[in-house]
Amino acid sequence: MPFACIFVPDFSVEALLRAEPELRSQAVAVLEGKAPLQKVFAGNEKARRAGVEVGMTKLQIEACTDFVLRARSPLQEAAAHAALLDCAQSFSPRIEDAGDDAILLDLAGLEPLFGPQPKIARDLARRASELGLEANVAVASNPDTAILAARGFFGVTVIPAGREAEQLSSLPVDVLFVGAVPSPTLETFDRWGVRNLRGLASLPDVALSERLGQEGVRLQQLARGSISRALVPVETPLIFEEAIELEYPLMLLEPLAFLLGRLLEQLCARLGARALATQELRLRLELENGWHAEDDCCPSTALDPSDRRIFQRTLRLPVPLLDARIFLKLLQLDLKANPPGAPIVKIYLSAEPVRPRAAQSGLFLPPSPEPEKLELTLARITGIVGEGSLGSLEILDTHHPHGFRMRRFAPAEPQRLGPRSSEKPESNNAITALRIFRPPVRATVTLRHGKPSHIVCSKRIQGDILWAAGPWRSSGDWWEQEGWSRDEWDIAVQAESYIALYRLVHDRLSGRWFLEGNYD
Amino acid sequence: MYVELHARSAFSFLEGASLPEDLIATCANFSMPAMALLDRNGVYGAPRFHMVAKKAGVKAHIGAEVSCEEFPISDCQFPITSGPRLKIGNRKSEIGNSFRLPLLVSSRTGYQNLCRLITKMKLRAPRKEEGAVREEELREHTAGLICLTGGDDGLLATSLARGGMDEARRAVERLAHTFGRDNVYVELQRHFHREQEARNRAAVEIARSLQLPLLATNGVCYASPRQRELCDVFTAIRHKRTLATAGRLLARNSERHLKSPQEMQQLFTDLPEAVANTWELSSRLEFTLHDLGYQFPKYPVPEGETMMSFLRQRTEEGAQKHYGRASRDVRDRAHRQIEHELTLIEKLDLAGYFLIVWDLVRFSREQGILVQGRGSAANSAVCYSLGITAVDPVGMDLLFERFLSEERGEWPDIDLDLPSGDQRERVIQYLYKLYGERGAAMTANVITYRSRLASREMGKALGFDPETLDKVSAAVSTWEYRDENDTFDHRFRDAGLDINHPRLRKYFELCVAAQDLPRHLGQHSGGMVICQGQLDSVVPLEPASMPGRVVVQWDKDDCHDLGIIKVDLLGLGMMAVLEDSLQLIRNNYGEEIDLAHLPQDDPTVYSALQKADTIGMFQIESRAQMSCLPRLRPRHFYDIVVQVAIIRPGPIVGQMVNPFLQRRLGREPVTYAHPSLEPVLSRTLGVPLFQEQLLRIAMIAASFTGGEAEELRRAMGFKRSEARMKQIETKLRAGMERNGISREAQEQIILSITSFALYGFPESHAASFALIAYASAYLKCHYLAAFTAAMLNNQPMGFYRPATIVKDAQRHGLKVLPLDALKSDWLCTLETAVEGPAVRLGLRYARGLREEVAQALVEERNCADFVSIHDLVRRVPDLRKDELNTLAEIGALNSIGISQREGSDSESGNWKSEMGNCFFHRRDALWQVERAVRHSGPLLEEFPEPDSKSPLRAMHHEERLVADFRGTGMTVGPHPMAYHRAKMQTMGVRTALELSGIRNGQNVRIAGGVIARQRPGTAKGFVFLSLEDETGVANAIVTPDLFQKNRLLLSSEQFLLVEGILQNQDNVISVKAARVIPLPITRAQTTSHDFY
Repeated sequence: MPFACIFVPDFSVEALLRAEPELRSQAVAVLEGKAPLQKVFAGNEKARRAGVEVGMTKLQIEACTDFVLRARSPLQEAAAHAALLDCAQSFSPRIEDAGDDAILLDLAGLEPLFGPQPKIARDLARRASELGLEANVAVASNPDTAILAARGFFGVTVIPAGREAEQLSSLPVDVLFVGAVPSPTLETFDRWGVRNLRGLASLPDVALSERLGQEGVRLQQLARGSISRALVPVETPLIFEEAIELEYPLMLLEPLAFLLGRLLEQLCARLGARALATQELRLRLELENGWHAEDDCCPSTALDPSDRRIFQRTLRLPVPLLDARIFLKLLQLDLKANPPGAPIVKIYLSAEPVRPRAAQSGLFLPPSPEPEKLELTLARITGIVGEGSLGSLEILDTHHPHGFRMRRFAPAEPQRLGPRSSEKPESNNAITALRIFRPPVRATVTLRHGKPSHIVCSKRIQGDILWAAGPWRSSGDWWEQEGWSRDEWDIAVQAESYIALYRLVHDRLSGRWFLEGNYD
Repeated sequence: MYVELHARSAFSFLEGASLPEDLIATCANFSMPAMALLDRNGVYGAPRFHMVAKKAGVKAHIGAEVSCEEFPISDCQFPITSGPRLKIGNRKSEIGNSFRLPLLVSSRTGYQNLCRLITKMKLRAPRKEEGAVREEELREHTAGLICLTGGDDGLLATSLARGGMDEARRAVERLAHTFGRDNVYVELQRHFHREQEARNRAAVEIARSLQLPLLATNGVCYASPRQRELCDVFTAIRHKRTLATAGRLLARNSERHLKSPQEMQQLFTDLPEAVANTWELSSRLEFTLHDLGYQFPKYPVPEGETMMSFLRQRTEEGAQKHYGRASRDVRDRAHRQIEHELTLIEKLDLAGYFLIVWDLVRFSREQGILVQGRGSAANSAVCYSLGITAVDPVGMDLLFERFLSEERGEWPDIDLDLPSGDQRERVIQYLYKLYGERGAAMTANVITYRSRLASREMGKALGFDPETLDKVSAAVSTWEYRDENDTFDHRFRDAGLDINHPRLRKYFELCVAAQDLPRHLGQHSGGMVICQGQLDSVVPLEPASMPGRVVVQWDKDDCHDLGIIKVDLLGLGMMAVLEDSLQLIRNNYGEEIDLAHLPQDDPTVYSALQKADTIGMFQIESRAQMSCLPRLRPRHFYDIVVQVAIIRPGPIVGQMVNPFLQRRLGREPVTYAHPSLEPVLSRTLGVPLFQEQLLRIAMIAASFTGGEAEELRRAMGFKRSEARMKQIETKLRAGMERNGISREAQEQIILSITSFALYGFPESHAASFALIAYASAYLKCHYLAAFTAAMLNNQPMGFYRPATIVKDAQRHGLKVLPLDALKSDWLCTLETAVEGPAVRLGLRYARGLREEVAQALVEERNCADFVSIHDLVRRVPDLRKDELNTLAEIGALNSIGISQREGSDSESGNWKSEMGNCFFHRRDALWQVERAVRHSGPLLEEFPEPDSKSPLRAMHHEERLVADFRGTGMTVGPHPMAYHRAKMQTMGVRTALELSGIRNGQNVRIAGGVIARQRPGTAKGFVFLSLEDETGVANAIVTPDLFQKNRLLLSSEQFLLVEGILQNQDNVISVKAARVIPLPITRAQTTSHDFY
């Protein structure tokens, strides 16, 4: 039974070159890591010939002008992998995912459809090329030989049945080992002086198995091309995406809502048919005139700068839902708060499939709001207060007085109440509350003997400072560009009929004064 | 007036960011009359604080912050066990509610109490932890101590946090009860924190209610606000976090710097008495380290004898032995010198010290341990007579004042060289036994931040990943010489990092700021202090990393500064080599060698020295020494003394080397700056080479006394003070003026003194070293096998790697046999071969092989030979697979089961190699190892399988080279260059041996493995390469320009081809490189000894 393998060498470079094919004639290196410590993750053949090595820093290759540097893009790699799957699937229904950069195909029965094996192999290579991926393709009588040949030989290779060992013999032994982690068996081969598959294939079977066990036997069989195994077919990935290409650009949200409603219904029907729900909706809008907007909702999926016509929104739900009307409402609220800002030419809507929620509330537990309603309410409030202003507070471990961040609000699991005796006695101390002004209010302050003596902040808050306590000094993050240093004063100012207490802040780096809050 | 009474220095390891010197400098700037240093659980920084304060006219109060265990308070409102547990300092385990108690020393008794308290705590603490003082211990040691209630981690703060006002009041009351009401001060600190101010209010209330005085302090951790950054980094390091994850462990602000009295008064305007009390308390603190109360132990002498009379007798006995057969003149001079020395020793009451050192030497000799005094002690005829040193100071006319003088008021310094390793340990243990655990201790070695350590730790704190850390620390490490291109900017760029990035810029600043700050306390390799009575009342003791050892909290310079006498028991690798050589000669040659009576002026030795054939010889083997030897052409012992001393920064910087060599070769007349200096300088042809000569010049030309001359030397010391130098220069000039020395001669003399005194070698020291150098040369020339084996057994030591030592020995005709599991011991041994004794490499050279496993192998083998590799694996089950693989790969298993194989092979004939030997190659062994390490099950376990022929092909020479260097770091086979000689010849490459036959100025090509790279600070950026081939070592000189162009290649390539002009000056041969080319002849990982 013949098998084919499509293998893309320098996969991470190829994934990027799909979007920029004009770079194929140049030396391209892919960088990984955060500035200033980016390092070379991979490079194409031209880059290698020019001396680029994995692990070099960006600065080291920046000195040479002939290199094109690109950041590694997992997104594009995933897309490239999906394209590779598509490519394989367009030939055979039985495919095996043999890694990001390799796909195996069962060619049984394909000859009447696509012609003889060499032709299939060439067509596969051509199809991959059309999808933007320069791949090696190898055909052999067993899957592993096909993989080895595709990894080891450039271009298209067809290995006739019975000549596997002979054809593979010149390949270096490390072709058997994938991945960066050094293998102890490879080290053993190195010590033994076994450098290519011929050497490995010629070792006596029994003696080898006595030394390296089944792993050794397996590797030897691989080297001889005699291993036989069944393909591990992959199921088609569960991708639920719907799209509409518009004849005319859409300007208004209302007709968009109509189209979205239709798409959502289709999506929900498909999910429902497979007894699935979704917890994540992704809306991608292709816009006219090269307009670009950042994805505020999900910065981690930042868009490729080369693809600047996409507007994307992602809605994540706390619990799996399957209700087209709710989804539509949520999307409408979101788009109202974050309009695309330009005419829309294409709509992509995808849903991440998950199992539906199957939870029953406890009989004696207090009722919590329905997740659907809660989500709707949260979306409405976000629409009013803005992104990042709603959620649960998490206090950060820092001296910075504003050291907190907002986490997504999620209803906590009801907790059992402990015995009352363990509760701490309440303190009798009076607690003064501080109401923070967000943002703080700029103030003009006059000092006397180093202490604030007069403040002008607004019409309401101005006058002599009756007394001041402080300064309470703090500073930090000096190793970052965003270092800070501030003095706080607690001040008393005469209001109309009472004395008001404020927190006054002096930013020691900018020299500015702010009123940051008032005490109850 | 304000006095800062609560300050930490960087000696509160990782809790303070300034050296005591910086604190005192800032204190003096503020015209503060006094200051107290309270480091964490110790007085580590006190000597430096004291010395520098003395100079600055500041009174240095001593104290410490002592970690204490909680006070058990019975009627506590809230149970302690439920409260939060605090973690204090570096201690790993939490001790419930510990706190830090700041203690100030008011009297010598107080100081002794503090030292004992800390010692008790430290010696009791589990390993690597700091421990805490118990309340009952505190109660025992309160006399002379004044205690403060502390800052954030003090008793008051922790009690307040735990149990509120009531508990805090009770805790302070308890302190007052323990220390006495007059000796407790309620401490207030103001760092602009809200919580701290609330605590201060409570503290004031408690002080008022208990009628205790208030005391303002600033809880200082650094001298200036900017150093807060470093303090934050230290905090992160201490807690093993990065700055980004350290959160509130870091300081809230930068207020813990030393503040001026005005600032402090301003801060405490509402509580002026708290500031005033600092002045009052300071005046109560009478103690300074000047009043240490140290006494050197007495030596026990027989009844009716005094120490002096006993010393006199021992000296006279020794003098009789050493000078008995000398000429009358020498005898008389010796007698006079000994009398002079003994009189001074008696006057300074040092008899006990000499007797103790004599006793150590006596003990060593009795135990058969080689021992020799070095350093300035060799200037003393008494030391020579007592057998402490081996150089005759009278015969060599050495200057006694360099060793001991009345004016200096310092203890003499006697260093003893002992074989490194177990032998030295035995002498150390003897001292411990004699003076008890609390009577003797090692001196500390303060580990400070140097570029590599700083770069790693700062990088970690900034959150760099390991790979980047490697890069940045490599970028920060330096060659000894730096040119203008050698800036950090360039180095970072070379490493692929952009220093203009703010984060890297900050990293760089931190690395620079951390330089020389203490990191932790280590143990000095050989310095020991002993004391009459209890050493723990002089300085706190703490456990050393080696079990059973204790170490004092001060390093040897601190001990010296405070007048604590020390004996340096230094481990010298060459002493161990000599001792091991003697043993090997005894066992294998059947000869007994007495190092004290080696044949003098041995022609073979001097011939080798004149040819610079000195690899492995003590002190004269370096590239620089070798480039001098053919010009100096030693003919007598004194020439070796000169040779040892001449290649030093002093003579080189002072430009003495060339004039001396020119005069020696008769190319320049011998002249003197002044005729009166002729007696001093005639031995060194008018060129000063030794420190003693400079001192004598000062004594003759400027009429300095011996003590004044020594004072001059110290003034030129490492921490030169411009003012002090000027002062001494004026004095010198005045003296010379009085003696009628011309201005020109004065200039010459002053120039030589100033440029030289610091780095010059003392003649006595050079003479002691020359003795060892001669002994090593003698043994190498006459007993090469024993000497080489001993050298290999004592690595690492010396200038060259073992690979070079082996190749050199082979070139001298020694057979070096490879590692063999059936023949090698752990150490290298001698075997009898046809050509004479041969060296068998020891199992210690099999990389990764554990000593205990190797010993087990040898033990098993001694019972019966291994019949096969399976047999070896079965009988030495601790052998790991990687160890077996290494042994197999380097050929150490090739001979296993040879007899069995010979029997079976006669039938098949398969085992004969092309070389005609019974052949079982390395890959056969590797093949067997892989089989043998797999268990064959209980049934077959006990039946060793015979080795069988493998299907693997034998290694070719390149593979063998790779395996040899990977597994042993060397090869006993041909040099890697030998395999490529034919090709090299076609390329016109000359061997190292051929160079002597080529005339000066000719263009040549040389090639070889780089065995040493040097860029000495004295060579203005020139780089020296030593290239080894199969015939010897050739030297290449690389100009700064060429180095700049080929920096990476010259720093990292293992084999190089160098093209350039041959320079042959007086048989010193080198090639001035015009072009360097990498030579990829082997993948073998050879190594070089690089001096950056």
